[in-house]
Amino acid sequence: MTTSKDAAGDTAGVAAGGGAGGGPGGAAVLDVADLHVEFDTHGGIVKAVRGASFSVRQGKTLAIVGESGCGKSVSVQSIMGLIPMPPGRITRGVARLDGIDIIKQKIINGEEVRGNRVGMIFQDPMSALNPTMRVGDQIAETLQVHRGLSKRHAFARAVEVLATTHIPEADARAKQYPFAFSGGMLQRAMIAMAIACEPDVLIADEPTTALDVTIQAQILDLLEELQRKNGMAIVLITHDLGVVARMADDVAVMYAGEIVESGSVDDVFYRSAHPYTMGLKAAMPSYATSKAIGLRPIEGTPPDLFDPPAGCGYFARCPHAMRLCDPHSPHRFEVGPEHHARCWLHHPSAPRGAAELYRGEPV
Amino acid sequence: MLTYTLKRLLQGIVTVWFIATATFVAMHAVPGDPLANERATTEQIRRNLEQRYGLDRPVSEQYVVYLEGMLRGDFGISFTQENRRVNDIIRENFPVSATLGILAVTYAALGGILFGALTALFRNRLPDLVIMFLVILGISVPSFVVAALSQLALVDMNAFLGFSLLPVAGWGTLRHMIVPSMVLGLGTMAYLARLMRSSMLEITNSDFIRTARAKGLPPARIFLKHQLRNAILPVVTVLGPAIAAITTGGFVVELVFAIPGLGRSFVEAVQQLDYTVIMGTTVFYGGFLVSMVIVVDLLYGWIDPRVRLE
Amino acid sequence: MSVALRFSAADFEPVATERTLQAASRPSLSYWQDTWRRLKQNRRASASLGTVVALGALAVAGPWVWRVDPSAQDVDQISQAPAWPPSALIVEPYTAWGGVTAEPTQPGDVVTDVRLAEPATTQAVRLVWEPVIGAAGYVVYRSVYDPAPDRALGLPVGEMVGANRASFEDRLDLEPRRYWYSVVVMDGSRAERETYAALVVDAVRTVSAEDAESRGWAQNAGALEPGDRIDLPYHPLGTDYLGRDLFARLMYGARVSLFIGVVAPLLFVLVGIVWGSAAGFMGGRADQLLMRFADFVIALPFLLFVILFKIAFGIGPGESGVFPMLVALVLLGWPSTARLVRGQILQVRQEGYVSASQLLGARTSYLVFRHMIPQTMGVILVTLTFAVPSAIFTEAFLSFIGMGVAPPTPSWGSMANEGIRTMLSHPHELLFPAVIISVTVLAFNLLGDGLRDALDVRMRGRE
Repeated sequence: MTTSKDAAGDTAGVAAGGGAGGGPGGAAVLDVADLHVEFDTHGGIVKAVRGASFSVRQGKTLAIVGESGCGKSVSVQSIMGLIPMPPGRITRGVARLDGIDIIKQKIINGEEVRGNRVGMIFQDPMSALNPTMRVGDQIAETLQVHRGLSKRHAFARAVEVLATTHIPEADARAKQYPFAFSGGMLQRAMIAMAIACEPDVLIADEPTTALDVTIQAQILDLLEELQRKNGMAIVLITHDLGVVARMADDVAVMYAGEIVESGSVDDVFYRSAHPYTMGLKAAMPSYATSKAIGLRPIEGTPPDLFDPPAGCGYFARCPHAMRLCDPHSPHRFEVGPEHHARCWLHHPSAPRGAAELYRGEPV
Repeated sequence: MLTYTLKRLLQGIVTVWFIATATFVAMHAVPGDPLANERATTEQIRRNLEQRYGLDRPVSEQYVVYLEGMLRGDFGISFTQENRRVNDIIRENFPVSATLGILAVTYAALGGILFGALTALFRNRLPDLVIMFLVILGISVPSFVVAALSQLALVDMNAFLGFSLLPVAGWGTLRHMIVPSMVLGLGTMAYLARLMRSSMLEITNSDFIRTARAKGLPPARIFLKHQLRNAILPVVTVLGPAIAAITTGGFVVELVFAIPGLGRSFVEAVQQLDYTVIMGTTVFYGGFLVSMVIVVDLLYGWIDPRVRLE
Repeated sequence: MSVALRFSAADFEPVATERTLQAASRPSLSYWQDTWRRLKQNRRASASLGTVVALGALAVAGPWVWRVDPSAQDVDQISQAPAWPPSALIVEPYTAWGGVTAEPTQPGDVVTDVRLAEPATTQAVRLVWEPVIGAAGYVVYRSVYDPAPDRALGLPVGEMVGANRASFEDRLDLEPRRYWYSVVVMDGSRAERETYAALVVDAVRTVSAEDAESRGWAQNAGALEPGDRIDLPYHPLGTDYLGRDLFARLMYGARVSLFIGVVAPLLFVLVGIVWGSAAGFMGGRADQLLMRFADFVIALPFLLFVILFKIAFGIGPGESGVFPMLVALVLLGWPSTARLVRGQILQVRQEGYVSASQLLGARTSYLVFRHMIPQTMGVILVTLTFAVPSAIFTEAFLSFIGMGVAPPTPSWGSMANEGIRTMLSHPHELLFPAVIISVTVLAFNLLGDGLRDALDVRMRGRE
């Protein structure tokens, strides 16, 4: 058991790099540091993302987990330049793609990055495709724009890409319109669109939430297969711990706009270092749950992001809360190699008993 | 696509039949004898009509005669204008109205789509505000006022220039057609612009536009191939009834600009209670309208492939 | 920036937290309260609502405040533009004028020194001038525009033979306004010379005491002295070509136009609701049938039916046909509402909360009133607000072509119709009805927009 150390600077500076990049492997392909995003609304300013840092290595999968409204989609979409910037604003933060900060660049080179070096797929495939364009044409578009292929050439290539997503009769399917596809097939088509230009990173924003469980499994398998073939990194956003367990190499747990815990999937699951992660695991139905144990939901609701608390966002719901947790926002402590958690329980002065209460406790 | 077309054609024919029948029923359900209006007929006409239509025969027979005539394309003879066949009246005046109407619809559609798209592009900036202001004016000011005012403007303009750049009234040359068709199309253009604008705004927030941006497509391409193409759909839907509105609104413009169109003849017939002309024109207009609606529907089916499945 | 914090052992003591649901920071509003609040916030919509209410008040209460008969003709103030309250000067009754003759002393083509013999009034304008040698006679013209630009001298009001004639008295339809008089020399063959002498004259309204009493401007002629001023009936917005007060006509016209504009939509929306709900509920073949019929009704020619109803109700040409208009509007206007309502009902039927309600044991009537009607109310309200301007336009149009209201009953459409004829000379007659139609239509349109936005945000669940 390592002593927890106070990691210097939880406002990770440019040098320190991002979050979960534990273990040997490639360099970080996408590295986000200290991201702050806020929105102007009628009711005031919403601080949707408050200092999130994460990174993903080449060929690996990073899962960003959290409940609805915690800011996971916003963080990813904001660095991609998909959030309309008048009501939205990135007030701080750096996002490096292969070493170059794309936040600064997005206004100029956004189109070069999106669809080309970073592909993205979204939650609801039924509404995410243009209903008046053939599926094949929509895939071919990226090739025309980013690779300069001719229309015919691009369409032919699009059919090939579609075939790699295991859609039967890709040739005929590419000439059809989205309404003729089922949900699962549409998601495959969307994946084809996103990987057509062989991006370095694929961002999947809740790709299976809207699908049947059986289709879910197929899509996840497909993603893994494509990752193996292309060597691309995947950022997988989800609220489903089962998906995380299956797909992820690294995990970042997000709550109320902050990353509260990050590390390898084993670390986060078996050696959870944050009460929220523990709560999530306890709330998950599994084969181990019986009528006697039951589901244990986390009481309470997330904090109001119009007026975020000065201290720990989880304070009101935490079973291990301490007096200093409310006024003081916890620093980012290193709990293990490449394993971090934002929790005062890891402060050297924290009662060891409390820290050990939940350390190493599997579900 | 073919079955869709055939279905629509069949529906159209049934509709026209319905209009003709409803017209006939309505005319005969009215108490009193239309011919009894002495103001409207002379002895000669009355005899011709009685002979022609067998007005003393039972209604069902009259109906058959009526339908037969209609199928042959013969609408009968005028009540109030001696020896003028309704067909002739229609034939002489309709092309004028049709030209006016088509020009007006073209203005309205092109202008509406263009301006609507512009406002969405320049949302909340100056072009948007200016266009929306004009649009609101266009919807609120009644067509006859616009017609009269534009005539006044023409008079002033010609006086100022010292020569007649654009004719104030009448018909015949291309220059005669410009102002009246613009005036006629104005209200519809405003309405379509508004519709286009809200459609564009709705589309802009939709998921597939987000996907398009995530694909890194340049804004111009997104605008044309994704936004515009989908936003046009509701506008095209509305085009059918819009054509109807323009055709009926044509009366006013024809009156004010002294254009010898069918609308003007129709209004005159209305004021003089010339029944055969009224009925004939109505059924003719009805048929024309229905065919326009069918054309628009087919156009819509071509643009939006989902509809063809119906 | 790493903050150096010093903590004591006490800081790390466990603390019990209230793990309750966070209190809502904003009070909870019902759907309608929220809609109303949103509507009020929308400035354009609130302004429109205010305008609509004001128009309604004008139509209902206006005629009680401004008690002028809209059909009463004030022949003294025909086609009067809006102006300050007019008054007239009392003068002696008219006495004939002998005129002036003078021997011409100078030859010339044009008379000189055209002037007024006395102040010009509406009783008489008396001109004198210096005659010229060589004239066989003189012609006097009068115009309401300056003749200079085109040499358009105007109306010939007097022609006299004789070189020594040096005066003219004009009594023809004099109004209190500016006139341009031109005197032209006529030679022996009755040809007129090119040059003319002009005089600008402003006629002042005068009336004799007896006339004042006979026209109803004063109660008692005896109480009036020459030199007194009396006030004439005031028409704040002017009068039309028959001398009728425009303000009163606008208000009565409001009654007609708003009556049709509001009642017709209310009725046909009602029919549409019943029809559409029935179709939506029953579904299946009944639904198909009902909707087919609705489709046919849309295709029916509106104008034809207006005429037919007019005849059916025994209304002759030249009489007001308010009722036929109403009936035609209602009978032919309901299908689009029926479609909308049916669409809403079909949509609502599939919503999760309806099934949930049913599972909880709700009866059909409960479902209808508690769930379906509120959902459709939004669409219905918006339809209504857009149907009103459409009905007003239709009424205006029908009255314009003579198929609607007939004189003397005013309606905004017929007023506009009459106004167009005098558009060039008296624009105010067209301007006022046109403006008020536009304002009304605009207000309803903006209100409809605002309503749709206020209801829509909730319906879409955005933000």
